[in-house]
Amino acid sequence: MIEARHLTKRYAGRTAVDRISFEVGKGEIVGFLGPNGAGKSTTLRMLTCFLSATEGTATVAGYDIYEDSVEVRRRIGYMPENVPLYPDMRVGEYLRFRARLKGIGHRASRGAVGEAMETCSLTAVERKMISTLSKGYRQRVGLADALVHKPELLILDEPTNGLDPGQIRQSRNLIRELGERHTILISTHILSEVEMTCGRVIIIDRGTIKASDSPRNLIRRLRRPGAVLLEAKAPATAAARLAAIAGVKEVNPSEDRDGWTSFSLTTDPQSDVREAVHELALKEGWKVRELSSRAASLEDAFVDLLKEETPSDPVESKT
Amino acid sequence: MRPFSILFFKELRSFFLSPMAYVIMALFTFLNGWLFVSMVRAMQLQASQRSLIHNLFGSGWFWMGFLILFPLITMRLFADERKMGTIEGLLTAPVRTAEVVLAKYAAAVAVYLVLLLPVFAFFPLFRLVTGEAAAFQPGAVWGSLLGLSLIGAFHVSIGTLASSLTANPLIAAMLTFVFVMLHYFLGFLQNFGMVTGSVWSDAMSYFSTTEHMNVLAEGLIDSRPIVYYLTFSVLLLSMTHQVLESRKWRA
Repeated sequence: MIEARHLTKRYAGRTAVDRISFEVGKGEIVGFLGPNGAGKSTTLRMLTCFLSATEGTATVAGYDIYEDSVEVRRRIGYMPENVPLYPDMRVGEYLRFRARLKGIGHRASRGAVGEAMETCSLTAVERKMISTLSKGYRQRVGLADALVHKPELLILDEPTNGLDPGQIRQSRNLIRELGERHTILISTHILSEVEMTCGRVIIIDRGTIKASDSPRNLIRRLRRPGAVLLEAKAPATAAARLAAIAGVKEVNPSEDRDGWTSFSLTTDPQSDVREAVHELALKEGWKVRELSSRAASLEDAFVDLLKEETPSDPVESKT
Repeated sequence: MRPFSILFFKELRSFFLSPMAYVIMALFTFLNGWLFVSMVRAMQLQASQRSLIHNLFGSGWFWMGFLILFPLITMRLFADERKMGTIEGLLTAPVRTAEVVLAKYAAAVAVYLVLLLPVFAFFPLFRLVTGEAAAFQPGAVWGSLLGLSLIGAFHVSIGTLASSLTANPLIAAMLTFVFVMLHYFLGFLQNFGMVTGSVWSDAMSYFSTTEHMNVLAEGLIDSRPIVYYLTFSVLLLSMTHQVLESRKWRA
């Protein structure tokens, strides 16, 4: 669906996107993940023909973004960052305008808009002014706009930015549903979002791709040492006993009230020491309030990945 | 050309649904109505060598109101879209930039013509109410309508370009006003300390809006101002197109 080759965007003295190449297959939901200012939006803007690439190119559904930009735009439903809308239009009116602008005939636009409003649960606010809508509704209007002409590819720039947790969950479900009919490329800096909706993650930082894999594989590949938390009524000497268990590398006790102590154990990535800890506690007669292992999340993988690169990077400081 | 008509009607709609349109229209019509009446009064008291049309459209009062119209009509065209960010959705829809520019321009010209029409309704109204022939020929009415349409079309193209240059409608309005004024006063340079008939004054008279109106308000169709305003409008619109496309230039 998307094939980007050496896509580059340079502004005066600054490289926003540096020769990135990637592919998105038909039917995939791909997450574009990176910290703010990593070049996500710039890349999406190049793919949607809003900006041109300084070097390199990309094709969308076989059409070159520079040579056949109108054909490319016909096949993309794009929701820009912060969802810009005309505040002085009504929801239904705005969507009909957008549908007509995207080449849907007068008659057909009614059905297409109705369907899009249905999908995004907007039917109730059809006659409301956009200026009076809440952030969550605006986001949905933007989404309905993106999919009103039934594009093959949806490009959503930070679709859940600024929503409350309930709305984030709703829009996540919606995106997953849409994934059954469209190829989707979403950008975000929120990890849990990618972890839950995307089949594949492309991590981008300072204009270059750092990793591209499924969330599960990324976590596995970047497995950091495991961590186990034990909260028990135990004497201070317990730390040394815990450290003696095979697989435990380090123990950090921190004293709570009433004789309770929390021990956080750093372990080898492979070994699960919870059983051994439990047996030790039984043997010593410690009362246990909590014993849990904290699995590495994509967030950890992400942070590690970015940290790896930080020390040596002279590229940006020049000029 | 379907995107053209869709965008054209959207622009018209958003202009006439804002209260500003009616405020401008009321003020402009009121100013000119007052002017029309004073002109007729003045001609009753004292014979004039010029026609009513000539006096009305040659008056400084008329031009003051007239020149202020353009910043007000055009300031929001592109500046507002840039400010709100909607320009991104607009230009990533499958439409050509040229269609967007032309549709917005045509809509602004249409708005301008709607604002101008009440002034031209004065002449038949005058005849209807007084039952007297006003001191003008039909040719002069058509000639000045043509002249004001051309001048307006040119001024709207100045405003369109100015609006594409900034994300702030107020700055766009000020730019438009400055350039519309500069162009208007450029024509007066022909009298500026120079002998009439010199190369300088001849050259400057080509730029003179008042000079153009003097000729057209006599009912004389001169092809020079027609070509002049149309070519400059086309030039400014193609510059607007370049400004919008510049984000896509490959460095």
